[in-house]
Formats: sequence, structure tokens, C-alpha cells
Amino acid sequence: MLTRINIGPIHPSTHGVLHLVVDLDGDTIDNIEPHIGFLHRGVEKLVETRMYMQSPPYMEKIDYVAPMSVDEAYVAAVEAALGIEVNERAQYARMILLELQRLASHLFFIGALTNDVGQMFTGFMWGFRDRELILRLLEEATGQRMFYVNMRLGGLANDFPKDFKEHVLDTMNYLSGRLKNYESFLEKNPIFMQRMKGVGVLTKEDAIAFGVTGHVLRASGVPYDVRNNNPYYFYRKLNFREQTLSHGDNFARYRIKIMEMRESIRIIRESFEDMPEGDATGQMVKLRSPPVKNKTVTVSREAPRGEVMMYLVAGDQKPYRLSMRTPTFINLHVLNHIAKGNRLADLYSILGSLDVVMADVDR
Amino acid sequence: MTADHDNAKKEMDRLTAGSVPGKEIKPNVAFAKLSDLMKLTSKGIVEWSRVNSLWPLQFGLACCAIELMSFGSASTDAERKGFLLFRATPRQCDVMLVAGWVTKSMIPEIKRMYEQMASPKYVIAFGECATCGGPWWESYNIIKGIDQVLPVDVYVVGCPPRPENLFSALMKLQKKIGGDIEG
Repeated sequence: MLTRINIGPIHPSTHGVLHLVVDLDGDTIDNIEPHIGFLHRGVEKLVETRMYMQSPPYMEKIDYVAPMSVDEAYVAAVEAALGIEVNERAQYARMILLELQRLASHLFFIGALTNDVGQMFTGFMWGFRDRELILRLLEEATGQRMFYVNMRLGGLANDFPKDFKEHVLDTMNYLSGRLKNYESFLEKNPIFMQRMKGVGVLTKEDAIAFGVTGHVLRASGVPYDVRNNNPYYFYRKLNFREQTLSHGDNFARYRIKIMEMRESIRIIRESFEDMPEGDATGQMVKLRSPPVKNKTVTVSREAPRGEVMMYLVAGDQKPYRLSMRTPTFINLHVLNHIAKGNRLADLYSILGSLDVVMADVDR
Repeated sequence: MTADHDNAKKEMDRLTAGSVPGKEIKPNVAFAKLSDLMKLTSKGIVEWSRVNSLWPLQFGLACCAIELMSFGSASTDAERKGFLLFRATPRQCDVMLVAGWVTKSMIPEIKRMYEQMASPKYVIAFGECATCGGPWWESYNIIKGIDQVLPVDVYVVGCPPRPENLFSALMKLQKKIGGDIEG
């Protein structure tokens, strides 16, 4: 006999407002039906009523754990539509900021995941303490703690402050030592390992069929990373390697995040070495934007949660239509598939390892 | 209480008996504590304890919930002022922190959460969206402020407000509950 349990929409482990209708056979999950839409606010429609550079604040609220990644994708789409070049220093500066944002997002993931896996509050505290260091750096560079609105056409709102490079490199040295602590703390913990290893397995074929991206796809053994497969800025020059594992379980998804953090630290260090002198400041926000060069543009970016795609049909002064592919909407789809047959208690670790942000799902 | 009061007066008289007139004598420590206790009993020891153990409801909707989590993490030590653990069930909570925009489909859920909380209960609107709709003023699916459905005690503006702002808002709420009772 099946038991039906409603989880959410308000629940500490649903990462926002997600309603799951779970059918249970004993303690085993038989079927999950996610109900979404509790955070829908119609971004795509609102963007059509705004001038081009009035929209970045809306874009940042799509993925609020890594706001800059979506904002940058939108601004890059507008730049492509209006035919605006980004100078070399600004490209490196954007890369550094994006990788800092990725580090902050991944540290948040570890904090939230360890909290989901049976109240390991130490992991939450560690993750948030280290994330705070990154946020301080981003605040130093942009003046804001969470929503930066720092991207301008052709560059950034302002160049890096004076001692920014030293501060970033100091923090990176500290963080690369810290990552070893995370590994030894989490991977020697039997509770953590029992809920991660072999739970929620997504095979390579299924991962491709579902169309997942980001760490979910790479944990299943598909070497796909937009930074490598469709490189933007100077990722090709930096000899960037995507991180791939083949197990496809929760543990692989967590490991990918740790490995990507190492890679991000390396990218930041190399970018600072290669970064030329000059000015990374972009254009001021003007009331009238330059004439449109390309009518339809598709821009693809590797956000911390997967591939963000912006399909922009440019109008005269406003976007005629903006269609977004946000990663976690598609990543959430596999939940029913991979959680089926597991225990109910493991549902939270599976959901946590998918790293969903509900505002990103609902838009 | 009157007996206590008389005792305190007697103690004060005994202490000030041999003193030089015009020179104020500070009471000793034990007496200072007694006077504090007097003040508390007159103000209500219940209120004093209520002020110093506000349990917030772990109820994050959107972006501001991330700052709410930062507030609960190591960088802001909130427990020193009595904002104890974030609880996951409304039945154990005193303060509801509405952090994030409220869509039309969330209104019944939020009302139900509020009704499940034990009285006395307080609501803090955290962030622009909960205060007035914020950037989603023109959106078709967002209500313009949580005060259209719930009575709000303290508003915190900012997009998102810093964790320190939440700290100050909770201290304002303490002042609202307890008057000049100190924590």
C-alpha cells in the first residue's frame, strides 16, 4: 500500500519553496511529483518593458546564490546584439569576478548540503565562514555584498581597487589550504559517506537524455563544460580542464564541486598573472543604446549550477523577447528518476546534491 | 511584593543611616540585584524572558533567505542577544521572518504558517520585496508587501539587507516587546 506525503512548500531542506508529493512504499520512494511555481514572478515579461541596461537587477535575482553569473550572461547577450567589444583587461576582470562568484556559490553548496545530510552544522558554519571571505572580496571590488549590478556594456562599472590583487591572492592561499580540511572532515565522516556514496545514481545515458548540465552532468561522466566546449573570454588560453567523474551518485556531485573550486583558484591565480594594465571600466548606462547590429543572439555561459543560455531577440531600445535556459529547472527534472527506490531520508541529500535554487527554477 | 518592597526600604534605610547628609551612598551589590529584581517583577518577569528568547522561524522564500542564513552562521553571533535557534516548525517560534517576495500562490501558505504560531507572535518583513514589493512592483504575480496579509512589527529595507540590519531589527523588536527592559 502506498502512503502519500506532502513535503513543503515550506520546509528547511527544499532550498526555497518547493512542494514535493512523495508516494512511499513502506520507507521506499515510489514516485515524486514536484510542484513548482511558488516563486514565479515573470522576469521574461518584465525585461520586455525595460531598457537594455535596466534589466541586470532582475537578472541577478534569478540565481541569487550566484547572481553575477546570470547578470554577466545577459550583459554578454546585449553586447553581442549591439556589437560592443570588451577590452582585454575587462575580460580578465570578468573572469576573476565570475570565478570568485563560483567559489562563493560552491561554498554555499557545501554548507547547505551538510545541513541537509542530517544536521552536520559544522559544515554549514565552515562553508558560510569561508563564503563570507569571498563576499568581502566581491564587496571590495563592486561595493555590494550580494547583488552587484557591476556589469556594464564593454566592461565593468569600475576597475579593481588598489590592493585587490593581493587580497584575492591571500584569500586564495587560505582557501586552498581550507579545502583539505573540508575533504578530511566530510569524507572521513561515516554518516556523510553513507548518505552520499551510491545514493541517487544517474547514469551517463540518462544524464544526456534528461539534458542536465553542470556538475550533475559532469558527475555522470560526460565531459561537457561551456568554458571548455564553447569557450568565452580567455578560458581557452588558460588551459582550463573540465572536471569529470563517472559514478554519477551524490558523492560524485559533491566531489565535482570540490574539484571545481581547486580549478577556480587556479584560474584566478593565472588570470591575475596574465591580466594586462589598463582600464576595465565599461560604458556608462545611457538612456539611448546604440543601434542593434544582430537581431537574434544566443549566448551560453557556465554558471555554477550548469549552463545558462540567453536567447535575445533585440528590439529598438528594449529586448523584444528574452528567453532563458536556466540550469536548475532542468536539473530538478531528474529528481524523480534518481530518487526512486531510495529511502525517504535520502531524498534530502539527493535534492541537496542537485543544488537547486528555486528562484532559478520558477523565474 | 509589598513585603519585598518594605524589606528593600528597610535595607536602604539601614545603609544610609550612618552616612553624611547630602552624600549619596551607592548600595552594595546584593542590594543592586534586589532592586533589579524589583524592577523586573514590576515590569513582569514573563516579558523579560520573552524579550530574551526570541526564536525565529526558519522560513526563507528567496534571496533574502541567503542573508538570513548568513545571519545564522558564524560571522554574526546572534545568540548573544537572545535570538536563539532557527526552528523549522512554526509551533516553536515567536518571530516570523518573511524574507523574499510573496507570490499569489504563497499567500495561503504564509497565512497558515502565521496561524500555526503560538501567541504572542511577531512578524518582521525582511527586505524590499516583503516590505513593499520592491523590484517586482510591476509583476503580475507578486503582492506588494507582506503587510497586505499579515500584521508586520518591524520593516527592514535593503535589497538584500545586510545581516547586521536584521540584528538591529530584532533589537528594535525587543524594544517593542519589552520597553526599557534590558537583555
